[in-house]
Amino acid sequence: MLSIFITFFLFLGGYVYAASVHASKTLVFYDERLDQLDSFSNFLSDLKDREYELDYYSANSTADIELFEGENRLYDNLIVLPVKGKHINKLVSDKTLLQFYNDGGDILSVTSPSAVPDSIRLFLNQLGIFPSPKGYELVDNVQGSLKIDSSDFRDSRICAAKYASSITLNGASSALLDNREQIFPILAAPRTSYTKATGKDSWSVGSQGFLATAFQNLKNARVAWLGSVDFLKDEFYGNNGNFVQEIAKWVFQEKNVIKSVDASHFHVDGTSYDEVPYKIKDAVIYEVGFSEWNGEKWVPFITDDVQFELRMLDPYYRLTLKPGRQKDEIQYYTTGEFRLPDHHGVFTFETDYKRDGFSFAVQRDVRPIRNLAHSEYARSWDISNAAVYLSSIFSVIFAWVIFIIFFITASPVVNKPMNTNKKNN
Amino acid sequence: MTATGKSTSAKNTKTPVLTESGSLIKWVQTILTLGIFLAIFGAAVSSRLFSVIRFESIIHEFDPWFNFRATKYLVTHSFLEFLNWFDDRTWYPLGRVTGGTLYPGLMTTSGAVWHLLRRIGLPVDIRNVCVMFAPAFSGITALATYHFTKEIKDSGAGLLAAAFMAIVPGYISRSVAGSYDNEAIAITLLMVTFMFWIKAQKTGSILHATLTALFYFYMVSAWGGYVFITNLIPLHVFILILMGRYDAKLYSSYTTWYAIGTLASMQIPFVGFLPIRSNDHMAALGVFGLLQLVAFGHFVKTKVSSDKFRVVMIVSLALILIVGVAALFALTYFGFIAPWTGRFYSLWDTNYAKIHIPIIASVSEHQPVAWPAFFFDTHFLIWLFPAGVFLLFLELKNEHVFVIVYSVLCSYFAGVMVRLMLTLTPVICVAAAVALSKVFDVYLDFSHTMKDKKVNVSNLVSRLLVSSTFIFYLVLFVLHCVWVNKMAYSSPSVVLPSTTYDGRTILIDDFREAYYWLRLNTKEDAKIASWWDYGYQIGGMADRTTLVDNNTWNNTHIALVGKAMASPEEKSYEILKQLDADYVLVIFGGLLGFSGDDVNKFLWMVRISEGIWPDEINERDYFSASGEYRVDAMASQTMKECLMYKMSYQGYPELFGGKGIDKVRGQTLLPDDVLPLDYFEEVFTSENWLVRLYQLKKEDSEGRSLKDVGDYERSTSKLNKKKNFKKPDLDLRV
Repeated sequence: MLSIFITFFLFLGGYVYAASVHASKTLVFYDERLDQLDSFSNFLSDLKDREYELDYYSANSTADIELFEGENRLYDNLIVLPVKGKHINKLVSDKTLLQFYNDGGDILSVTSPSAVPDSIRLFLNQLGIFPSPKGYELVDNVQGSLKIDSSDFRDSRICAAKYASSITLNGASSALLDNREQIFPILAAPRTSYTKATGKDSWSVGSQGFLATAFQNLKNARVAWLGSVDFLKDEFYGNNGNFVQEIAKWVFQEKNVIKSVDASHFHVDGTSYDEVPYKIKDAVIYEVGFSEWNGEKWVPFITDDVQFELRMLDPYYRLTLKPGRQKDEIQYYTTGEFRLPDHHGVFTFETDYKRDGFSFAVQRDVRPIRNLAHSEYARSWDISNAAVYLSSIFSVIFAWVIFIIFFITASPVVNKPMNTNKKNN
Repeated sequence: MTATGKSTSAKNTKTPVLTESGSLIKWVQTILTLGIFLAIFGAAVSSRLFSVIRFESIIHEFDPWFNFRATKYLVTHSFLEFLNWFDDRTWYPLGRVTGGTLYPGLMTTSGAVWHLLRRIGLPVDIRNVCVMFAPAFSGITALATYHFTKEIKDSGAGLLAAAFMAIVPGYISRSVAGSYDNEAIAITLLMVTFMFWIKAQKTGSILHATLTALFYFYMVSAWGGYVFITNLIPLHVFILILMGRYDAKLYSSYTTWYAIGTLASMQIPFVGFLPIRSNDHMAALGVFGLLQLVAFGHFVKTKVSSDKFRVVMIVSLALILIVGVAALFALTYFGFIAPWTGRFYSLWDTNYAKIHIPIIASVSEHQPVAWPAFFFDTHFLIWLFPAGVFLLFLELKNEHVFVIVYSVLCSYFAGVMVRLMLTLTPVICVAAAVALSKVFDVYLDFSHTMKDKKVNVSNLVSRLLVSSTFIFYLVLFVLHCVWVNKMAYSSPSVVLPSTTYDGRTILIDDFREAYYWLRLNTKEDAKIASWWDYGYQIGGMADRTTLVDNNTWNNTHIALVGKAMASPEEKSYEILKQLDADYVLVIFGGLLGFSGDDVNKFLWMVRISEGIWPDEINERDYFSASGEYRVDAMASQTMKECLMYKMSYQGYPELFGGKGIDKVRGQTLLPDDVLPLDYFEEVFTSENWLVRLYQLKKEDSEGRSLKDVGDYERSTSKLNKKKNFKKPDLDLRV
């Protein structure tokens, strides 16, 4: 009961105030030994301005911290600033982080060359993000120092390119990424850079390393990883602030949050499946609505790349949807009229909208399409080819009637000479 | 329904008292006949009720579950809805046009019975109608057999045949209470059709021929085995023509039957245009044509001299034969006539199916019959059968030819396929009854023992000896039948009888336990993947969607499920995900010693999928290095990695504290033999481990493969640390 109340309260609180689509109770892990909280004041106050409720926990402290109470997640967001040592906390292991993330919590993780805790590293590894371990540092001996320019920017529609050009970093670690489609790289390491550690091979070379990347799981929970604490620091905030705030907005679900609603399909005349089930070659319309969270409310989501798929083992149709009517906060997309395939079976009506940087929106409806009933085929007189058979039927009937008439009216004396004939033989 | 006094007394061993009035005898005869029929009917029904008494009123085995489900659909929907039924809960996602691919005779009959009973104020549950359907119809079969045999010999033989038919195990095997299968009604219709045909060809009556056609139509609507009639009647006619026995009666009866029967049979959606397109039906068409020519020849014969006629006949016969055969080849070659089906080929070459169509060979009822089964199923009738056929040869009337042709054909077919034993049984009963009644005609006739008021001792002794021997055999026959019916043919196979160590009988009810679990604990649209054997039962008992079932119409789909079972789990997962499956059901008999389990059927799954994907599945890989089919430590790696093995033995060694003894295979498994399951999760295992249910895990929301997830969750954090400090081996990111 309590949990329901808490959730409801959090939800209500979040809905009323925060810019994020969900509540914004945020826990910030930091390490006093590395950086005081003051050095992130600009970043944190920006968050506070947007009604984030921030709790702080220093890795140095001995107090216990729990992310869950029983099965209930206590925080909506997690910010993990660089923490020295192996753990951010004994109670927050990589598996706990994964559980937190899987439960819908969003995580912004920042590591620096000197601070890559195991729990964070192992957690990120599970997402296919492999930050260079402690001791590795990104260097660029050609340019002398790390210089980020626009060619290093990867457009995942998470932040605008213009914010990336001014980025200034003192030191950074880089991460290798695997080819998972849920990874949205944001910033690659400069082409001429590599990761150096004393006595070891380099971790990443050139643009195969990344300085910032985002990840979204199938439940639309988000993670962003930044390879340098300088992104957040006050001293570079003038250069990096916009970039970081865009990422924070993205990871805490303030932007690029979309949802698909009201997927429906029906006969051309408007009758639904429940009233009249589909049969093969019926003309139907499929429609799905999309909304986007603009930081305050849901608004229609405008795009041109929504696709619909009609599938039974293989796709029978893949149609790009056209924008249709708009209702309040929903933009509808429609296939227009199309004909169901000439094949009965159990079909899946599906829109699977997964685009870089946006929430994944999947709508699926499984419906049987039946065969024609015995009375639904074209009748013989409607088929021109059947004229041959029809005329033969009627001519046989006619001939038979004529035969019967002759048979009845003819004189019955015919048999006699036949019998004599037989005897003669 | 009049019987001669002789045979009635033979049955009752009571000689009729010679009375002055013949009508009294007639009355006694009628009453006796009626009494005998009541007794036969009672015996037929009651010997089929063992299954209900020993177990319960339940639908048996596999196919009856589908028939039951279809019947339920019929009585809850209209007939037209039934006819157009598209079933989206089987063969997911293909669906099945069930209304157009079933033989509706059985369901419509029981639906009609159900409606009739309601009309007269007996609202009986449809399940009970279905359960009691086969016993009730077996009584009618006995009646039809009586009339059939009466046409062959006399009513004495008829009564014997009816009595045999009522309790012979070969027929009971498919018609016990609860065995709600097409055959339950089809054998009745077979005998009725034959009975009318014999009458029709004897009398040339168009009425009888029409009745033959109507019952033939009923038979077509009830069982695919109607092709047997379609070929047997033309063969009978053909042989009669060859014997020079053509007459106008034959012409009128055959043409009437063929014209009406063929047109009527084409009204069944599943049959459709087969009668004019499939090779199985060409014999009937050919004989129809031949009969016209023969009739024409007879007509010509009356007009021209016999010398000229001989020339005309020879030339025209040769011409017709050549043209006919050539046309058949040409039409088949160009695809106008469907080629012979695989089942047909396997009738002639018993190895054909094994090589070419594993799915046909895998069905147990398509296996060749074991010789002792003939005795088991018919007892002493099997050796009276040739004697009866021989006796018919001595007389060789037209109808005798029919029985001879029937017995020769069916003896062969029954030797090839177990299930065709069923069609052989009636003719065994008929021929044996003919033989036995001949014996009784001679040896139960005591009218010559008293000569000149002196008893002819040797005559009396020989008669008593022979007849008492045969009566003894009859008693033995009854005992045998009752024993077989009770022990062998009454098990519903949904519930398994078993004996405890102290000798008590207990019922193993794992199947229903699991099916009810599914019914109560899964979503209504959950899809269950299992080997096709259990499809009908899942549909009937658990009411869940299945991927494949006992209606094996789509070999590729079955092979796909077989491939999923035979592949390593990541591949299986991919296949099953593509098919939207939610659960996988396997039957495991290792704990119970139930030999008909999935591990024993597994090689068929491998073979069937190898037929479609020969480069991915290879039967040899599933055998150990020494070529044995093993499941213990010596099992091949492919075997150990495949889904069926993992699912069957998951957690099994641990049940015994580390040494799992598979009672079916007699092999011992260690915990290390059974690899962990990552993509599937055990959700249910029945009391005796007979049914095991696994759920497909959800895709990992972080996009990892479920194997990686499993590895990650099994690993301790220390292990992770060491391993992951290494640079990951990744593909180039572009």
